Formats: sequence, C-alpha cells, structure tokens
Amino acid sequence: MSNKLISFIFALCLSLGILLVAIMMAEDVVNSAGVAHPDIAGMTVGGDGELRLEHIGQYAFLFQSLLMLLIICLCILGVSPRHRSPYFYAYMAGCYGLMLFIWWQMYFGHQQFMQTGQLSYFMGFPTPTAWQMYGTWFGAIPLMLIYTLGFRKFIYTHADDEAFQALLTEHKSPTSP
Amino acid sequence: MEAYRQEIILGAVFLYMAFCIVTGIWAMRRTKNSSDFFMAGRSLGPIVVSLALFSSTLSGFGFVGGPGLVYSIGVSSFWMVVISSSGYAIGFFLVAKRIRMIAELRDCISLPDIVAARYNSEAVRFLMAVTIVLGVMGYLATQILAMAVVMQAILSGTQMFAEISLVSCVVISSAVLIFYCVTGGIIASVYTDVVQGSIMIVAGGLILITATAVFDGGMQEATSIILANDSEAIMPFGSAGIMASLGWFFVFGLGLAGQPHLITKMMMNKDMADNRTIFPMSLFGYVMAALLWISIGVVMRAAAIDGVIDPLQAPDDAASVFLSLFANPLLAGVVFAGLFAAIMSTSDAFLNIGTAAIIHDIPKAINGKSVENELFWARVVTVLLAAVAASFALYSYYLDATLVALLGAFGWATFAASIFPVVAIGLNWKGATVPGAITAIISALVINFSVQLAGISIPYGISGGLVAFITSLILFIGVSAVTKKPNIGADIEQVLDI
Repeated sequence: MSNKLISFIFALCLSLGILLVAIMMAEDVVNSAGVAHPDIAGMTVGGDGELRLEHIGQYAFLFQSLLMLLIICLCILGVSPRHRSPYFYAYMAGCYGLMLFIWWQMYFGHQQFMQTGQLSYFMGFPTPTAWQMYGTWFGAIPLMLIYTLGFRKFIYTHADDEAFQALLTEHKSPTSP
Repeated sequence: MEAYRQEIILGAVFLYMAFCIVTGIWAMRRTKNSSDFFMAGRSLGPIVVSLALFSSTLSGFGFVGGPGLVYSIGVSSFWMVVISSSGYAIGFFLVAKRIRMIAELRDCISLPDIVAARYNSEAVRFLMAVTIVLGVMGYLATQILAMAVVMQAILSGTQMFAEISLVSCVVISSAVLIFYCVTGGIIASVYTDVVQGSIMIVAGGLILITATAVFDGGMQEATSIILANDSEAIMPFGSAGIMASLGWFFVFGLGLAGQPHLITKMMMNKDMADNRTIFPMSLFGYVMAALLWISIGVVMRAAAIDGVIDPLQAPDDAASVFLSLFANPLLAGVVFAGLFAAIMSTSDAFLNIGTAAIIHDIPKAINGKSVENELFWARVVTVLLAAVAASFALYSYYLDATLVALLGAFGWATFAASIFPVVAIGLNWKGATVPGAITAIISALVINFSVQLAGISIPYGISGGLVAFITSLILFIGVSAVTKKPNIGADIEQVLDI
C-alpha cells in the first residue's frame, strides 16, 4: 500500500511541477505580482484582479487543489500502513473535502466580487479573505484532532510502544552486535 | 507614564536579558555532557517543547518583517501564517515519531546523525551538515543585525545612550546570546524559549486588542479603507498575486517539517506520547503570536492610506512605529521584550544546530568520529560561530550586503527544499535511497543559489524556493525509485515498520 501511496505522491509532485511550468510559460501581465503604489513608497497594489487571473486562474486553482491533496497524502504516509483502517481513510478523505470546500469558497468568492463588486464582511475581513484567513487555518484542524485524539489508535499504539521498547532493550543489551 | 516610555521599554528589555543570563548560569549546572548540551538529555516535558517549538518558528522575521510585509503587499503574506495548522500537521505526522525513536535508539544528537542512521551513509550526513552550517550563517547574521538595529533604536531614545553605535549594540546583544548558549547549551536555550514563547503569546493577544481600537470601526474599518484604495491588496491573494501566495503556502507549509532548528526539537521530549499535546499547544502559541503580524500590518497599511500616519520610511518600521504611536508604554515594553525574545529564541536554536554540525557531524563524516571532549569544543565553537555571524552582520551593514543576502537565501526555502524530502519522506518510505537523498539536497542548493546569484525573476511572483522544492521532491522520489535500496540497519528497518 505504501508503494502505491508513494507513487501517487510522486504523480502529484509531477503534476504540480507541470502546472508550475505551464504557469511560468503563460502570457504574463504587468501587474501579475503587484506594482508600486502610485502615492506611497514601499507599498504595492494588485490592480486589476481579473486581468491577473486571466491566463493562469484555472491552473492556479488546480495547483492549490492538488497541493492540498498532497498534504493529506503526506499525512497518510506518516501513519503506519497497519493502522490505516477504512475509517482512517474516510476521515482523511473528509479532511480533504473540507479543505477543498474552503478553497472553493475563497477562490470563487473572490471571482464573484470581481464580477459583481458586491461584498460582505465576516469578523473584520471581506468574506473571501475571511475564508482564507480563518478557513484555511481551521481547515487543517481536523488533522490535528485525529493526531491528538487518535494518537493511540493511528499514530503510536500501545503495541507500537511495546515493540519499540523491545527493540530498545535488544539494541542496548551488551550482547547486541 | 508616557513621559517614561523609553525608560519603561529599556527596563523591560533589560529585565528580559537579565533573565537570559540567570537561566544560562542555572542551566550550566545541568549540562554535564554533549548530549545535555545538544539534546537536553531527551528529558523535556510537553510544555517546554511546545513553547520552544513555536517560539523558534516565529523569529524576528515574524515580529518585524511580518507586519512590514502586510504593509507592503497586503494579504499575500497571511499565507505564511494560515499554513501553520497544515504545516505543523505534516511535521508531526511525518517526523515527530520516527525522529524521536531513531534519536533514542542510536543516541543521535543532531539531524545529520539521524539521516546518517537512516541512510547508513556518511555522504548524506556530510551534505546535510554543510547545508545546515551555510543556512545557519545566513540566518544568524540577519538575526544578530536585526537585534542590534532594534537595540540601537531603543537606546538612542535615551539621553545616556543617544550616540550609541551599531557595533556596540551588536556586541551587547551578541554577548547575552553567547553567554546563555555557551553556559547552558540547549537546556538554557529551551528554558529561555519558554519565557520567550510566553511573552510572544501575551504580546500577540494584547496587540490585537490595541490594533482593533485604532479605528472606531475596528478591523472592518481598516480593511474597508484598504479595499477602497486597492481591492486586490485585501483580497485572498494580496497585491503579490495568487502564485506568490500559493508558493508561500507550499514552501512555508510543507517546509516547516524541513527546518532543522524545529525538527531537532522533536528529538528532545521525554515521552513519545507527549507529541499528542505538543502539537496543539505549539499551534496555539504560534497563532497567538502571529496575531501581532496580521493586526499591526493591516492597521498600519490602512492608517498610511487614510492619512492617519505619514507613510513609513521602510515597511519594516511598521511594528516599531505602531508601538510608538498607538501602544501603551507598558505594552510597548512587553512587545519589545517579545521582539528580542523572538530573535533570540531562533538564534539560539541555530547556534546549537550549527555547532553540532561543525564539531560533531562534519568530523564524523570525514574521519569517522567526532572531536574529543565534545562539550568543551561545543562551547568554543558556539562563541566562534556567533562571532563570525556578528562580523558578517556588521560587514553586510557597513560594506556590502551581498554576502549576507546570499547566505540569507539559504533560509527557510533552502532548508525546506533540501531537508524535507530527505527527512520527512525518507523517514516514512523504505524505498528512499542515498542517490535520491544526495540528488535532492544538491538540486535544492543549486537552484536556490542560482536564482539568487543570477537575480532571476520568475513570472507571476513564483519564488525560486518553490521551484527548488518541487524539483527536489520529484528528483528525490524519482531517483530513489530507480536506484538500489540502501543496506540500512535492522533496527532502523524495524523503526520504519512501527
């Protein structure tokens, strides 16, 4: 199972690399990485948001979607294959779904604002930015929860601890090679 | 109280530095050998490790550069902060368990020790140690310079020290840092981190409250002002654009598990099960401290646009100007102490891992054994390393910034690209090989160095670090897949199975 997982991770990394090359080769726009503020030195502005995403928006959306999948797969790689139960996989799939939902809300909320100019606020920030700031951070909290609450079930079980203690005893004994 | 603002700030910083010195003396009694000096005898509790972990993550860059970045490029830099939950998750899932097991099994005292055990290769150890030394020099020089500049700004505001030179400030601040690192090694470092981390948490919370009071309409009024001026700056990708933002998400998120000064701390906890509490506590601390980054940055950008303040001379002045204009003197004192805490907590971690690489790993990779009397030489090299870094800092400030800028490029991104695949994936995949590890490290160094040296600008704000990171990941897995598996020890095989 680990071999399949690492192959999938490799495929994800390759896809991210290809997307990055595609973005680098896309037609550049003058404000793609911001331009100097007309009045205030040391400050930059983004300018026309639609123009900045015109040639790379879909690539960038896919890039982040794959990157979040890579994060989930790397977390799965860190769990011993013996502990990867169907429940565990379902939970991790749920984590990915949540992260994707937040990313979707952020990206398309931004798109909607650019098209309509209409905006609401949540806890001090425009809603798309609130999805970015609060949402992105909270989106990975389920990973912390399964690590913390499922520590003895998925990460380091009592059987793992016994196996490690036995290994330590064997390795540190005077007769050990 | 306002009349004594400078004296209060100076008093807070002085108290903090006195605490560091006392901690160094106390820790010296507990440092009996090199394992104590570098690994604190693997005996630390969860609160100590948590605070040490997050306070080392958020260096002076977070307290000075962070607000400056928001002032300069808007929301783009938020991505370096919001990634913390995913970043810590990857670090704990991939690294925390196995690095701790191998450290105990093989009595490892450094990250190169771990990779040498994992790959059964002195070449990988050597490359890892060299990467760490190069990175440490750049990081340390910039941190020492930041510390001296802030100290000069504080002292020059008083009558007695109005004409103090930067050289004197470098000497004073480095002397305190060197003293507690030399006397108490990592024990002094992590226990000062506890106080440093606590100060940073308190400072972050209080600054958020202060920042929201700057505008009558709170944070929403500040963000509305920015939106009216340039909507992109306060939208999710900021003025630096979508690829710069997502690149930071990648490099800062995944890269956290490749930072040697952080993952080395995952080897120091007493009990493996403590990891389940260390993770949430570190994350909480980081988020609280990062509130300062976001709130000061947003408010200062809005205040400059709205004409509440004059535009800053440099974006990095955002935090200090905010503190002088809007913060109560007592709070300013706490935050300035927090700023020194942030810088010192990162610097001491770098001093420790750099020293380990020089006296333990490089000699071991070349001669097959580390130097005699490691504890003595550890103390000598700690002084020398800090002195060389301080000299680099002064050279860069007065003569030529190229050298430190170049070494500075060996910052987070280079550590991320060269160390993450080798350690984080290598500890969880038996198929990882020596050629794969060597290729990943060298490609990361070459790409980062080339982009920096040649001054290459990549379209859409894509960073050289992102290119290096994705390339090293692909090469690490690809080369490992087509080369012969290393003959690793049976005990390491068993650890990789657990």
